[in-house]
Amino acid sequence: MERARSAQDEAEGRHFGESAGLIMRPSNNPAPLWPTIDGPLGLSEEESLSYARSFFKFGFCLLPWLWAVNCFYFWPVLRHSSSFRGIRRYVVGSAIGFIVFTVLLSSWALTFAIGGERLFGPIWGDLVMYNVADKLGLTSWN
Amino acid sequence: MDRNPKPTSILESLGEEIIRIVAPVSICMLLVVLLVTVLDANSSSDSSSLTTIATIAYNEDTSDSIWDKLKGALLNSLVFVAVVTVVTFVLVLLFYLRCTRFLKLYMGFSAFVVLGFMGGEIALFLIRDFSFPIDCITFLLVLFNFTVVGVMAVFMSKMAILVTQGYLVVIAILVAYWFTLLPEWTTWVLLVAMALYDLAAVLLPGGPLRLLVELAMSRDEDIPALVYEARPVTNHDSSPRPVMVERRVWKERMSLASGMGVSSTSGSNSDFNTNSVFDSNSMSATLSSATNGQNETRLVITGDHLLSEGASQLSAPLISRPLQRTNSTRVGQEEVSTENFHLEGIGLGSSGAIKLGLGDFIFYSVLVGRAAMYDFMTVYACYLAIIAGLGITLMLLAFHQKALPALPVSVLLGVLFYFLTRFLLEVFVVQCSLHLLMF
Repeated sequence: MERARSAQDEAEGRHFGESAGLIMRPSNNPAPLWPTIDGPLGLSEEESLSYARSFFKFGFCLLPWLWAVNCFYFWPVLRHSSSFRGIRRYVVGSAIGFIVFTVLLSSWALTFAIGGERLFGPIWGDLVMYNVADKLGLTSWN
Repeated sequence: MDRNPKPTSILESLGEEIIRIVAPVSICMLLVVLLVTVLDANSSSDSSSLTTIATIAYNEDTSDSIWDKLKGALLNSLVFVAVVTVVTFVLVLLFYLRCTRFLKLYMGFSAFVVLGFMGGEIALFLIRDFSFPIDCITFLLVLFNFTVVGVMAVFMSKMAILVTQGYLVVIAILVAYWFTLLPEWTTWVLLVAMALYDLAAVLLPGGPLRLLVELAMSRDEDIPALVYEARPVTNHDSSPRPVMVERRVWKERMSLASGMGVSSTSGSNSDFNTNSVFDSNSMSATLSSATNGQNETRLVITGDHLLSEGASQLSAPLISRPLQRTNSTRVGQEEVSTENFHLEGIGLGSSGAIKLGLGDFIFYSVLVGRAAMYDFMTVYACYLAIIAGLGITLMLLAFHQKALPALPVSVLLGVLFYFLTRFLLEVFVVQCSLHLLMF
């Protein structure tokens, strides 16, 4: 994907947004042309705004992974702080939300895994997934 | 430095496109083999526990005679292929009556079921086998996230390419693993039966997939199906100003059927017709439309999708478009797959991506997964046979320029190599090793 870029850049001094979606103008401040990581295959700037906004809002339904996908999708917006002001708000919000949620969730999961029975007592056995699966017979189809 | 005035040579662009379709197929097969070997201890005990459409006629029992097993397997396969055919025809009918919204919803529902339930089940197997101390709250949250984003990725056409591709491969892995749980004889006879069905459905004049493709072509529409689309290889001699490359890769529809379609995206601004994605449920069709004059040839490969729930239909017509620069014909392939998967054929686009139906992914992985249940030697042999078959299919696609099924060559080669390896090569290699002659 990126291969054509360098060849073209040298040849023309211009980058076309290819795979990485980053087009750097040969001027002093590089600014990407395409807001998505897919470059010209991705969304245009207007569509990007609505997509970024809807991903950000849907992420509040306990969907941190959607926030992470949002950050990945609009990676050029995150990397270049001086571009795409409208989209940038939502992408940065998604990034912050993802990090906060992940920290909380992983701290809980690690406490549960490392603490184990010592910390929780008998309730650990009721909460751990393989016991729950056995109790509810979820794996009985095999 | 002078810019190379010639367009990228066909070898470079074609080679890159082939790699971009062989890589996900290989990843899918590798992960299915890993899953099968890791979870193998449980499944070998009770092979008759799975009641699906594929085993409705006969449940294999290890104590049956060979003749009984063969008859039972044939019966199962016939029932399965019959169900797939019926569902495919239903899909053609629905498509003819323009119930695309229903098909899209069904696709979304299928993806949800596959990712949520089957993905959850397999995750539970893994957790149980490794005694991974995860609690149910975290597990449910992670599964919920994974499933919802997966449904969105398959539903929406404008999600990040990598995310969509990843989720399609995951869906293929889950369905393929599920299929490897079928009894052994049934699996092999089913693979051969589906390959033959694919051949018939795409090439015969009355075949459902061919009807679907022609219908989609005449209407200039995309077939709702699950199709894996590879990232298009961008031209070097594109216009200097940044042009939005149209990707008509897949249609959000997800039906249980997974099909593989290979379609290429055309880079032109005017029409974008590349392949359409198929719904998982019944049809996977890949349409490759030709753009006017600006696109180069496109081959579309569609695959079939497998439906996870009930019978799966797999049909995978491959649609190849002639390599012409000025031709703006549209090739569409649609395969209707019953319930879960659609097989799609392969399509190649000159301007860009190749589409492969998810059903093709699934059946290739089923073959390799079943080979893994015997030994790794058969895995290597079957993998090579399938990749060789895929290459042959792509070449045929380039020559014939019409819809072609993606399954027959690879599956038949794979099955042949499996039996040859198992009965001939293994004896040879083991004897050589025992006598310290080789390996």
